[in-house]
Amino acid sequence: MKRSVLIYQSIALITLAVAFILLWSFSKGTPFVESGLTFDETAADSYAVLQENLYRMVPILLGSIFFSIAIAFYLEEWLAQTSWIYGIVAQQITILASIPSLLYGLLALYFFVLQSEKGSFFTHALTVVLLVMPITIQSTQMAIRGVDISVREAAFALGANRWRVVIDHVFPNAFSTIVAGICTAISRALAISALIIVVYFWREPALQSGDTFNVPSSVIVLLSSALLSSVISSFLEKKANLT
Amino acid sequence: METNNHSIETQNLSLWYGDFQALIDVSVNIPAGKITSLIGPSGCGKTTLLRCFNRVNERYGNVTTKGEIKILGKNIYDPDVSLLELRKTVGMVFQRPNPLPISVYDNILFGLRIHSPFGSLKRSQSDEIVEEALTSVFLWDDLKDKLKTRATSLQLEQQQKLCIARLLPLKPQIILMDEPCSALDAKGTLAVEELMSVLAGTYTFLIVTHNMAQARRVSSECIYMFLGELIEHRETQALFETPEHPKTADYVQMRYG
Ligand SMILES: Nc1ncnc2c1ncn2[C@@H]1O[C@H](COP(=O)(O)OP(=O)(O)OP(=O)(O)O)[C@@H](O)[C@H]1O
Ligand SMILES: [Mg+2]
Repeated sequence: MKRSVLIYQSIALITLAVAFILLWSFSKGTPFVESGLTFDETAADSYAVLQENLYRMVPILLGSIFFSIAIAFYLEEWLAQTSWIYGIVAQQITILASIPSLLYGLLALYFFVLQSEKGSFFTHALTVVLLVMPITIQSTQMAIRGVDISVREAAFALGANRWRVVIDHVFPNAFSTIVAGICTAISRALAISALIIVVYFWREPALQSGDTFNVPSSVIVLLSSALLSSVISSFLEKKANLT
Repeated sequence: METNNHSIETQNLSLWYGDFQALIDVSVNIPAGKITSLIGPSGCGKTTLLRCFNRVNERYGNVTTKGEIKILGKNIYDPDVSLLELRKTVGMVFQRPNPLPISVYDNILFGLRIHSPFGSLKRSQSDEIVEEALTSVFLWDDLKDKLKTRATSLQLEQQQKLCIARLLPLKPQIILMDEPCSALDAKGTLAVEELMSVLAGTYTFLIVTHNMAQARRVSSECIYMFLGELIEHRETQALFETPEHPKTADYVQMRYG
C-alpha cells in the first residue's frame, strides 16, 4: 500500500518536473531541439563527451541491476539460512536504500561543481550505482520473500535442490515484483542523471548561448523515461498484487 | 531390505531447534503398507517428527538431530544417502494444499523431471504418466480437459488430491501427510480419506491429524505424542478404547467423549 502511494507521488513529481522544464524552455524562446545549432566547437566537444558518458552509463546501470538481483538471491536463498552475517548485511542495505535520492544528488553535485572534470564520469557512475543497487537489492529481496513458503516446501519435498527451486519457482513468481523494483530504481537513476546534466550545462560556459540557458534535449528524454519507468513500475506492482 | 516389515524405524531420536528440545528420545516403528496416525496436542512435535523422515527440517539452520532414523532399513543420516533419492522414496503432503503455481500437467511431472536426466521423458510417456496419476486419485474425469490450467486455481479438494497425485509418478514407498484435510470441507475430507484407504497397501502412510474421528476412521495404528515425547503407540482401536497411559486417556477422552 505504502509503496504504491510513493510510486504515485514520484509519478506526480516527475510529471510536474517535466512539464515545468518544457514550459520554461519554451518561455525562454529557445526550443531545446534547436540548442544543438548554437554550439560552437568546444560546446560540441563537451556535448559529445556528455553524450558518450550517458551511453557509458547504460552498461553500468544494467550491470548494477544484474548484480543487485544476484546479490538479493544470494542473500535470501543461500545466506539467510546459514549465516549470522545475513542480518548485518540486510540491515546495511536497508539503511542505504532508505537514504533519500536527493542526498545522492547533492553528493554528485558537490563533486561536479567543486571537483575536477576528470572525476565527473566517475562521480556520475558512482552515484547511479549507489542509488540503484540498494533499492534493487531490497525490492528483489521483498519479491523473493513474497513468494509463498508453501511453494518452496512443495518443491523441496519433491526433491528439488536450491537452484531448481530458485530457477523454476522463486524467480518466475517474483518476476513482476522484481521488474517493478528495477523500474523504480531506474527512474531514480534517470532523474539523478537529468539533474547532473542540468548542472553540467550550467557550469559549462561553452554550452550556454548568450544569456539564455538551453535545456538539453537529453534531460527531457531522461525525465520522460523516468516517468515512463515509474508508470511501468506501478502497473507491474498492481499486476503482481492481483495474481 | 524391509526388516520385519517396518518402513520407518527410529532409535532415540532427539531434535533441538536452537536450545529448545522439540523431540525427546523418540523410538518408533512404523509398519509398512498401513496407515499410521500421529496425534497429540498442538506443539507436541508431530510436524517436527514427520519432517525428520524426509529431512526437510534441515532447511532451518539451527536444527540439531541425535539418534537414528532408518527408512526401509537404511539410516538416512549415512553420508552416502542422497537427499534426492530420499525425497523420492518419502513423499510429503502438506496441511494447506500447495500445488505449484504451474499447470496441472506440469505439477504431476515436476518431481519426475527433477529425477530424470534432461530430455529423457518422451511426450507420449508423459501423457500416460499424467493420466495414470490423475486416475489413481480419481481426478482424471474432472481434470482431463483442464490439464493446462494453473493448478492453484482448482478447488481445494482437487488441489490436495493433485498434491497426492504428483507424488505417485516417483513411485514413493512412504507418504507423509501433515493434517492433509484441515483445509478441506467434510466432503473433501471424506474423499481424501477414501483415497488413502485405496492407496494404503501400496504405500505406507503416516498422517498427522487433530481430528480424533479421522484417526479412528483411517488408521490401523496410532501414535500419541506429548511435549516432544512418544507416549503411546498401539493399534488405533486399542489406543482409543483402552489407553494404557493416563496422559493418552486424558487426551483421548477430553477430545472424545
Ligand atoms: N522452525 C522452528 N524453529 C523453532 N522452533 C520450532 C520450529 N518449528 C517448530 N518449533 C517448535 O517445536 C515445537 C513442536 O512444533 P511442531 O510444529 O512439531 O508441533 P505440532 O505438534 O506439529 O503442532 P501443531 O499441532 O500445532 O501443528 C513447538 O513448540 C514449536 O514452537
Ligand atoms: Mg503441525
